Amino acid sequence: MLDLLTELEDSADQVLRGMALAPADAKLWPQACELGWLLVTAPEELGGLDLGLAGACALQLALGRYLAGASYLPALLAAEALCASTLPDRQERLARLAAGEDYITCPLVDWRPAAGHGLSGMAMAVPAADRAGQLLVVAPDLVALVPLAAAGVTVTRRATWDSTRDLFEVVLDGVDTNMCSVLARGAQAQALAQRLAVVRDFGLAADAVGGADALLAMTVDYLQTRRQFGRPLAMFQALKHRCADLKADVEAARALLLDNLQRAAAADDAATALLAKGARHLACAVYLQVAEESLQLHGGIGMTAEHPCHLFLKRAMLGEHLGTAPGACAEALAAPLLAAQG
Amino acid sequence: MSAAPDTATLRAEVRDWLAHHVPRGWREAMTNTGQDAFVELQKNWFTALSAAGYATPHWPEGWPGGGRSLTEQKIIYEEVARADAPRLILYFVALYHAACTLQECGSPEQQARFLPAILDGQIWCQGFSEPNAGSDLASLRTSAKRRGDVYVINGQKTWSTMAQYADRCLLLARSDNSGVPQAGLTYLLLDMRAQGVTVRPIHQITGDDEFAEIFFDDVEVPVTDRVGEEGAGWAVAQATLASERGLTLVELCQRMRRGLPLLAAQMHASGCAHDSGLRRRLGALSAQVDAACALADRYLLKRISHTEAPGDASVVKLYYARTLREFTRLGRDVAGLGGQYHGGFMRGAPQETGNWPLDFMNSYNWSIAGGSNEIQRNILAERMLGMPREPKDWRLGGGG
Repeated sequence: MLDLLTELEDSADQVLRGMALAPADAKLWPQACELGWLLVTAPEELGGLDLGLAGACALQLALGRYLAGASYLPALLAAEALCASTLPDRQERLARLAAGEDYITCPLVDWRPAAGHGLSGMAMAVPAADRAGQLLVVAPDLVALVPLAAAGVTVTRRATWDSTRDLFEVVLDGVDTNMCSVLARGAQAQALAQRLAVVRDFGLAADAVGGADALLAMTVDYLQTRRQFGRPLAMFQALKHRCADLKADVEAARALLLDNLQRAAAADDAATALLAKGARHLACAVYLQVAEESLQLHGGIGMTAEHPCHLFLKRAMLGEHLGTAPGACAEALAAPLLAAQG
Repeated sequence: MSAAPDTATLRAEVRDWLAHHVPRGWREAMTNTGQDAFVELQKNWFTALSAAGYATPHWPEGWPGGGRSLTEQKIIYEEVARADAPRLILYFVALYHAACTLQECGSPEQQARFLPAILDGQIWCQGFSEPNAGSDLASLRTSAKRRGDVYVINGQKTWSTMAQYADRCLLLARSDNSGVPQAGLTYLLLDMRAQGVTVRPIHQITGDDEFAEIFFDDVEVPVTDRVGEEGAGWAVAQATLASERGLTLVELCQRMRRGLPLLAAQMHASGCAHDSGLRRRLGALSAQVDAACALADRYLLKRISHTEAPGDASVVKLYYARTLREFTRLGRDVAGLGGQYHGGFMRGAPQETGNWPLDFMNSYNWSIAGGSNEIQRNILAERMLGMPREPKDWRLGGGG
């Protein structure tokens, strides 16, 4: 399985290498669709590649490495939800999504329900809502596709410090559920919501591992090039040791991601949710640590807008707040240990 | 990997065996006890494990107890840790350092002679560090002078774990002073009962005396007990150190994972199971412990498939040492003032005893011994990240 993932990551890497860092969606998206990246987790009987969550994470690793926009993960979540649904035309919908004809977006944090008739609430951190036709809403007892043109839907672009991801807020105020495509209700919706949170958290972990790895390599390169006191900065032990610690952290986060993905393939739902949270928690913490240190290791040049160092820092800062929040991850990881001893 | 092992069967087998054989109450028996009781427990436990074939799962194919896949090794380590069985500390150097060195660099005659002896309970120690050669190991000065069929050894070694009980010593000594420091070293298998060997245990901060100084006064070692060629000792020593940095850590990481419930139990006992700050530290730590396990597993797979890259072993050891420090620090913080009451110490303690100040102090074993964290960082930065070495010619007041 690992060989296949490496292959997938490498092929994505080759596509992205030809573009500038933080490639525009307009440039990347047609290629992503053409290469079938949105079908990576879908089963073969629905026209998918059936490479599982690990396959999606291999792609997301490469996307994170090149600071690609955030459109991929929501589309992947939408594909996952469509596949899990019983809609009669799910295969056609999936095909349109995968071909780039009908983009569906989804918030990268939990849905915030509000009181009111119909479907009401707020979705924060929604990528690329300006080119989406529908929003995937993952409420506790309902998973549905909401047309963004429906009455009661307000879409607002929210500029974030992280300029590599284009985020929106979507507010639903009493949207008529008859206007929506309901994918799951009740217990089925709960199970699907849990599954989607797993995909989201693993995806964010992969993005963080890719970004941290690329940024550390860039920082080491810079230290090799920059000379002070008549020698490359990379020769100073005080700096080498910091890079070595960061490298160990990145390798640990990557090993945990791959190991947890492997274990998740054979685990029950509750265990899988924990594996995703563990991977996400460590990866995002490591990304932030690498980003904070890298800015310092770059010195003054890292404070300039023309150098890409800040793009990684801003992405890591935002990443810390996407998916299951760090505090909730840590609590969830501790809970079973404490319950078993209580 | 060959045919999929029947993991459930092996696990049930090991678990059943352990249920009948783990010495009951061994932790209590090892707390505030003398040396003799410790040695006897270790010997009995080794004999039992070795007879069952569970002492050497990390040995290669064709060796007694060896040839196990990573999955099988992990099952054995997991079950041994789950059963809270003692670690084979007295036999650690024999089973890992000596065996791996013999595997990589020993002659067929040496393998045939020493491997059965190791399985039979021969105790080994390592004679590498000296008072003036710690991190800078290549500067060591204990001399090995060739005289006919023997080398004559003079000098001193230190930090040698369990040397006071050892039958044999993995000795790195200087046979030549003329070239660069690394070039003049020779690797010998020294008989600790030979005339001229004196061992002095070192009293440690924990109360234990796990390691010792060794003095050599005209000690003779037959040339047949040399590993590799004369002057090739540095390369042989790297095989010894790599086994310590990489292979031992699968077991240690599994033990650390099995130690997490101890921390949770301590939080309940200290009445802080609802402290969200401590809960979050526990949760974050559990992810790091899982990551350490994953790193150790992947390293072992690389060893098995011969795809190890420079610096890989250092990543595993550095991350384990750092995680173990955090693990024991959290225990210390949770145990609070009550944890500071001196309840004695456990002889040959594993890393996770639940006596948190003791465990915390013992965690320095892994950040100092076998190449300190600082040395691992140098190796990692230079060999994995390709960062340049510092210039060697340091002159007082002169600068590079």
